[in-house]
Amino acid sequence: MRTVRALSPLLRRAGGRDARITTALACTAFAVVTALALSVAGGLLAFQARAAEPVPSGGHVFGYLYVSLAWTALALLVVPLITLGGAAARLGVSRRDARLSALRLIGVTPREVVGLTLVETAWQGLVGAVAGCVLYVLLIPFWTLFVFQDRPFTFGELWVGPLVLAGALVVIPLLAAGSGAVSLRQVVVSPLGVSRRVRAPGLRAVRVLVAGVLMIGFIVVSIAMRSFGAVAIGVLLGSFGAAFLALNAIGPWVLRQFGGRRLRAARTPEQLLAARRLLDDPKAAWRVVGGLGLAGFVAGALAVVPVLAAAQAERDATSEIIGHDLTTGGLLTLSLTFVVAAVSAGITQAASVLDRRREYALQHLAGLPSDLLDRVRRREVLGPLVLVSVGSAALALVMLSPLFGLLALRSMTGPLLLVGCLALGCVLVLAATEASRPLLRSVLADTVVRAD
Amino acid sequence: MTTTPLAGPDRLTARGLVKRFGPTTALAGVDVTLRPGESLSVMGPSGSGKSTLLHCLAGILQPDAGSVVLQPASGAPLDLGSLGERRRSLVRRQHFGFVFQFGQLLSELTALENVALPSMLLGATRADAELTASGWLSRLGLDGMGDRRPGELSGGQAQRVAVARALVTRPAVVFADEPTGALDQATGYDVMRLLTETTRAAGASLVVVTHDADVAAWCERRITVRDGLVVDEARRAGGAATVPAGAGTSVHGSADPR
Repeated sequence: MRTVRALSPLLRRAGGRDARITTALACTAFAVVTALALSVAGGLLAFQARAAEPVPSGGHVFGYLYVSLAWTALALLVVPLITLGGAAARLGVSRRDARLSALRLIGVTPREVVGLTLVETAWQGLVGAVAGCVLYVLLIPFWTLFVFQDRPFTFGELWVGPLVLAGALVVIPLLAAGSGAVSLRQVVVSPLGVSRRVRAPGLRAVRVLVAGVLMIGFIVVSIAMRSFGAVAIGVLLGSFGAAFLALNAIGPWVLRQFGGRRLRAARTPEQLLAARRLLDDPKAAWRVVGGLGLAGFVAGALAVVPVLAAAQAERDATSEIIGHDLTTGGLLTLSLTFVVAAVSAGITQAASVLDRRREYALQHLAGLPSDLLDRVRRREVLGPLVLVSVGSAALALVMLSPLFGLLALRSMTGPLLLVGCLALGCVLVLAATEASRPLLRSVLADTVVRAD
Repeated sequence: MTTTPLAGPDRLTARGLVKRFGPTTALAGVDVTLRPGESLSVMGPSGSGKSTLLHCLAGILQPDAGSVVLQPASGAPLDLGSLGERRRSLVRRQHFGFVFQFGQLLSELTALENVALPSMLLGATRADAELTASGWLSRLGLDGMGDRRPGELSGGQAQRVAVARALVTRPAVVFADEPTGALDQATGYDVMRLLTETTRAAGASLVVVTHDADVAAWCERRITVRDGLVVDEARRAGGAATVPAGAGTSVHGSADPR
């Protein structure tokens, strides 16, 4: 412990430009996670407060419906947010292999090496969390622009209070350290720093079976539910959860099949490299686009909302408000998911450039054109992105068809909204991955890839 | 094995190379010539400028003064100093092969794909590139290893894949930077033997940067660099033999090639 205490401040200051870039990226990611998590928590608290109010007029009757919907949005965002936190922690760990194995050589024990890494990652988490709290406060005026239950939120409603803020400052660093510990277990830091890449274990087809059962279960439950009406909303939400589990089970498997197909069809170097990189770790690829898969699923479900809202609005004003709020809330959740997925994708790309820095630099010395790596990156991200977002939106339309029939296709507003959102999200993610371009250029400009 | 006669114009000619990094002068006026099919070792202690010399000869770095001219097997001579980064990158792909100390293979590709990649970058179809690559892998004793990933190869196997990758495009010159630096002595001996033999059989010239006299002994000619200048030049007795004088006849049996 004494070694950890003595060395950690030194390590924090050590490291060159790369270390500064990765630290900045990791802190940014933790800040985004903190700010968005606090914003969503603020929204949840606001709906809870509104639900607890005495009922003066129509809009509040459905207070608890809003609370459960806010919980749903929170649940939807938890997975991508944790993914982003994990990506940031992995990035934090990735550049430390070399330094840490040097420490092993001078006699620091493995336990102390792990301790040092966790202290560093937690420190980044803390810096990010502080920045995230500031960002959250700056974002509140923006959130007050949104109208729910026929009135905009106030600053006071969205303010989570000092206790929750303090909680974030504790929880985010702990989560960061936890994710760091998990990734350190994967990168075995031996005294000689040999972290070997081997073939990822195969993904078994049993995933498809599990996913199939869950999806059919959902369809059966929702057909049965139609006769029971809205009382079974809890069951429905549970089935939604099952559908997400199904997506998560099937996602990496589908990406693996997709990668295999593309590998066989690959003709050019960039097609070959992009397919191999996807096959190398389909689970990692899924972690990046998986959030979008879930968002696409929600977007698909939401495509029916404008039709439902229009149908209901003919009857009463409350239904109109709920329809409006469902659309707003859904779009908001979708946008947040896209932002988080985009930051995740950017961070993951940066980590991947740093992980492969030596082989990239040496390939470049041997004449590999640098724009080839740009093309590989775009191909690597875009393929799974389009597959997953379009695929999951289509899946949602199919799975929800027993509930809503072909309502979604009756009006063009919903599908257009869906296509627009997905296209915008894909562009956002691509733009975020381009952020790793300067890092790649600096890695390729490095001709001194040998120690002496 | 056929030996290529050392005839015709010089393959690579460097004159008056000067390279500075800030206040440090890495090369202070170096002249080097390389004949077709010739092997040259560049020796020197750490920081002597030998890697900078290799980078300038290979068109990776632009010298501050002096010139590097490549005479390809066919076509007009190329003055590397007058070319932009994009053109030099193309020259490196087309005319040069590289073997580094370790870690130059792309970890997501198989051994076969790693060797096929340079040909694909030059426009070969994947099927043709993989067929040629497979031939090189078996020439280097790597039959059945084509499907393995770099992480699943031993250090010596990975270097042999790197040698195959360097030679697959039939380059004019192969540059090797401490090619055995990460290997034990017996494996290093094996890799140097394969590197010199196959390079020579392919008719390519070879430049090996090393601080190890045993490694340098594999090359026909040796220059020693110190403080950015060539301070010594020697030609190995016995000319173009493929095994250094005094080396044991058994590749695996001798731990010490000297």
